Amino acid sequence: MKRALALVIIGSTLAAATVAFTQSFSVQLGANKGPRQPINFSHQIHAGKLGMNCLYCHYGAEKSAIANLPPVSTCMGCHKIAVTDRPEIQKLTAYYDRGEQIPWVEVYRLPDYVKFNHKRHVLAGFACQNCHGPVQQMAVVYEYPPLKMGWCVSCHRQNLTNPDHPATMDCVVCHH
Amino acid sequence: MSDFVFTRRDFLKLVGIGAAGAAAGCAKPPADKLIPYLVAPEDILPGVPYWYASTCRECSAGCGLLVKAREGRVVKLEGNPKHPVSRGGLCARGQAGLQSAYDPDRVRTPMVKQGGAWRPIEWEDALKLASSRIAAAKGGQKLALVTANSTGSFHKLASDFASAAGGTHLVYEPFAHESLREANRRTFGQATIPTYDFAQANVVFTFGADFLETWLSPVEHARDFAAMRARPDTHVVSIEPRLSLTGVNADEWVAVRPGGEMALALGFAHVILGENLGPALGERGALLDAVSAFTPEAVEKDTDVPADQVREMARHFARGRPSLAVAGGIATQSEQSVALLAAVNLLNYVAGNVGRTVRFDRTLNYDAVASFADVQRLIQSMGSGAVQVLLVHAANPVYATPAWAGFAAAMDKVSFKISLSSVLDETADRCDLILPSTHGLESLGDAEASRGVHALIQPGMQKLPMIDARPEGDTLLTLAQSAGLGAGFAGDWTGYVKAQWKSLHGRLGAGRDFDTFWSDALQHGGVWEDAPATAVRWNGTPAFAAPQLKGGGDVALVLYASPSFYDGRGANKPWLQELPDPTTKAVWGTWAEIHPATASRLGVKTGDALKVETDAGSVEVPAYVTGGVRQDVVAIPLGQGHTAYGRYAKDRGVQALALLSPAQDGASGAVAYLSAKARLSRGTKALSLSITQPEKSQRDREIGQIIPVAALLGGAAAATNGGSHGEPTTIGAGAGGAGEETAHGARFERSAAKKGTTTSPMVEPEGYRPPPHSVSAYEPKPEERGRGPRAIPVSEGSYRNGQHRWAMSIDLNSCTGCAACVVACYAENNIPTVGPEMVKRGRELAWIRIDRFEEKLEPGRHDVRNVPMMCQHCSDAPCEIVCPVYATYHNPEGLNAQIYNRCVGTRYCSNNCPYKVRAFNWFDYSAPEKATFAFPEPLNWQLNPDVTVRSKGVMEKCTMCVQRILEGKGNAKDEKRAVKDGEIQTACAQSCPTQAITFGDLLDPDSDVHKKSFGERRYWVLEELNTRPGVTYLKRVRRENA
Repeated sequence: MKRALALVIIGSTLAAATVAFTQSFSVQLGANKGPRQPINFSHQIHAGKLGMNCLYCHYGAEKSAIANLPPVSTCMGCHKIAVTDRPEIQKLTAYYDRGEQIPWVEVYRLPDYVKFNHKRHVLAGFACQNCHGPVQQMAVVYEYPPLKMGWCVSCHRQNLTNPDHPATMDCVVCHH
Repeated sequence: MSDFVFTRRDFLKLVGIGAAGAAAGCAKPPADKLIPYLVAPEDILPGVPYWYASTCRECSAGCGLLVKAREGRVVKLEGNPKHPVSRGGLCARGQAGLQSAYDPDRVRTPMVKQGGAWRPIEWEDALKLASSRIAAAKGGQKLALVTANSTGSFHKLASDFASAAGGTHLVYEPFAHESLREANRRTFGQATIPTYDFAQANVVFTFGADFLETWLSPVEHARDFAAMRARPDTHVVSIEPRLSLTGVNADEWVAVRPGGEMALALGFAHVILGENLGPALGERGALLDAVSAFTPEAVEKDTDVPADQVREMARHFARGRPSLAVAGGIATQSEQSVALLAAVNLLNYVAGNVGRTVRFDRTLNYDAVASFADVQRLIQSMGSGAVQVLLVHAANPVYATPAWAGFAAAMDKVSFKISLSSVLDETADRCDLILPSTHGLESLGDAEASRGVHALIQPGMQKLPMIDARPEGDTLLTLAQSAGLGAGFAGDWTGYVKAQWKSLHGRLGAGRDFDTFWSDALQHGGVWEDAPATAVRWNGTPAFAAPQLKGGGDVALVLYASPSFYDGRGANKPWLQELPDPTTKAVWGTWAEIHPATASRLGVKTGDALKVETDAGSVEVPAYVTGGVRQDVVAIPLGQGHTAYGRYAKDRGVQALALLSPAQDGASGAVAYLSAKARLSRGTKALSLSITQPEKSQRDREIGQIIPVAALLGGAAAATNGGSHGEPTTIGAGAGGAGEETAHGARFERSAAKKGTTTSPMVEPEGYRPPPHSVSAYEPKPEERGRGPRAIPVSEGSYRNGQHRWAMSIDLNSCTGCAACVVACYAENNIPTVGPEMVKRGRELAWIRIDRFEEKLEPGRHDVRNVPMMCQHCSDAPCEIVCPVYATYHNPEGLNAQIYNRCVGTRYCSNNCPYKVRAFNWFDYSAPEKATFAFPEPLNWQLNPDVTVRSKGVMEKCTMCVQRILEGKGNAKDEKRAVKDGEIQTACAQSCPTQAITFGDLLDPDSDVHKKSFGERRYWVLEELNTRPGVTYLKRVRRENA
């Protein structure tokens, strides 16, 4: 009797934990590890197969702390004529025609007390893939790095004596 | 068989599993949406700030603004260095103007009053309703339009609107300076407000004109004042019954009897004319006759100033030519204010200052501002029922006119009242319809605040999406069109402004086409043209009579304009409410300043309720006991006591205008703020006053230091310079005096060495070794380098490569204590306001404060020192060594850094900080769901995205605007060059109207901050603690020669 009670308690605790775990992602997981996006955009096709430069769309990455998402008009620059017969492209066109922004789901998120500057890292010559992983192979983008401070610091530590772009170990550079 | 025993250990396991599950559940916040632009605006990139030139409209001075926008939202206002009026500075009120754009109590939709309650209404219906009423009131003076002083295209539109509707247009400013204009008309034949050139003057007498606070153009005056104070032989005398902040910055305080200022000015003129000390004047005989009654002996009787002192001061004033006398502050506006101002004009004239320090060139544009007599005419015609439709924009006469004038009651007789206000102030609340206007940061406009300064008010952002407001110009144009007011109102507001600028283009276009001219003007904030001076001669001497204070009572009631709230319009901005008053350091309220003798007679102390009674009424306010008022005076600031005007203004303090009985200047019609006597008694209410700095003595700790001018110049130099004025010598390490400074510095070093002392803060005591983690101007020897937090070798990487030592110097000789830096810091660094209760517990979060030390607060040579105090970024910081989690540490560039996410809130650092500059977040001011949330929407839209909004339980403090340092270093890196001196400025340094704060790199020997930090007047606060701060103060210069 007591054993049964204990099993029930264990079982329900585990179930609650599982629910809590999955609910925390308030988004459905897509085909791969990343979240399902409103349009099934594939970096594998654009960055991989077509070999487009990351900065073609995310042009803010070398000019600003924030690597921007491309405006919908940038997508339409090609997709007014390119593969307009695909259902996903028609979704895109529909957004554009309605004058509606696409509600992309955030993949990378830093807490408010972390200030990351894309421009400094891109201009120092780091490839996007250094942090974002093999995006050109990702059909669905997922969070590649652990995105914890230790991961940032390990790279900074390696580059402390980088002759051209010495990295800093100064906390306040990111936390201010 | 029940062999299963549920042990404690099992229980803990279960709990552990549950906790692990819960922890896993907390690992990720729910994913947010990322919304891209549909079509990206040209040249706008998320994460990059954009700057727009614009113009401040918080008072009539019209300072130039640079508006910083991030992601399409204005986040900060700074002064425009290229603007001819403000030249880069911006006062506290101007910077807080930002908060009125994001005021959570802004009117969000048009509203109509039905059955005493406000109901939202569609714009089309509201405009239809308004225009039908306006159409019905056409002709026969049945319509009145009240606006604030807007001087540009909007002024023209409003005037045309009123005249097309056959009504009146009244430009209402509570501080209209009508007495000044009237006095200038009578004495110089110019009903304008001239330029007062403080920079040129050697001796300044101010008869109650608070020219560093609210009088005319405070930022411009402050800049000029600092330029004057950089010369050794200048002298400033403040003649007023209550020592204002301006008076604190003077060398001497003559505590004249209230209303005695005029007699004193004429007494000076009498001496100058009688002893023939001024320039040769044709009118000398006539003028001497006019002032014949004001012999020094007669003046002594009226003013309590000894006759000998009158003579001495007059001679000094004449010797100092060009000197300057100013008057006309609100606190001295009496029934004889024109007489006072005429007397001061006379003094300037006989001393030969007119045309030199008083110039009718770039006159301040008050031309259209109504005198209070005009306001009374409107009140009368409203009261008689003649006015049927009243439109009000940006003016709040119900609050700002004294109760005796009866504006509110008369307004209620108007059958239909329309407000174009953006917030429900007292006037708007009495209206029947509100057509909310956009803020100046959201819509285009222009202004000519002074002659020849054609400034544009450029929007820095689109209007806020949750606020359905329209530019007031568009509203008026639409109303005029639909009410059929004529053909002059076609098109929209932008077109209207441009049409006005077409005529300017014809005059100032210099051959460029209009579009080039226009975009150039937008880029620079406007176009400036030279304003040639109008030569004036003495035009006529008015009758001189001293004001008589009325009513029963034994003390004079002095009402003064609050430096924070101006005429009351600043009261709805939390930054200004929490900005400590420069005199009392009180926040969020009203108080009455009384002399210690009065206080002991009444048995009240600071904070106790004091009943102030006049014939018109009585108020109870907390008393503030200070030696800065005469014994026969009670002084109360204006600007509080709102009954509406949003959550931050409503029900704070008292409206002291209620104490006034009807009294006006006979000649100009101005409200006589100084007209009543009052009775004082102990109050019965339980009141309290929140004061950030209750203790105003520095208890011999020499926090604010002074140096006599003679010591600075050396005995011989003082002897030769003693009698003459206008030498091009400057004191202090400025751009101009750098070479000289070095010489002084060398002498200082030598004399210190000779005496065998180590008083110089930059000289290390014998055998002193800096601790291993210190980074300072002194390169530590390799063996002195130790190991930093968590075994990061400080001798490696960025510590070894530290290229800079960021430092600051604060010139106490320039600092006026205006607190513009405090508001700048709030804006830049997302500092929450905490409210009066928390301030009382010492929990305000300000990163920079202005300490006020009253060494000697009595008439004569007073000694009050204002010391801006913020984190000193000590090289040997006491806070760093006590933090158990390394949340505060020293960075390679000398900053004392505070890492919020590492802080666990022990508060050891704050305990160990001798400067008390660390602030702890006792509550969650950043969490929207908490009652303590300090940024209710849309106030949160102002937050600087480059700075973390701190959460509960963490310590915070000045970072020397590390986000600006990083931005500056980034810009330099992009251009592959070193950081230029002056390129990086902290928010406080940028805003400072007198440029008292200098920021830069101490390791750069050519930097401004280096020169100043090693200059002759340098000292460190509490240097005996060997904290070796990065902030160096420059002693205030005390001028003994008078």
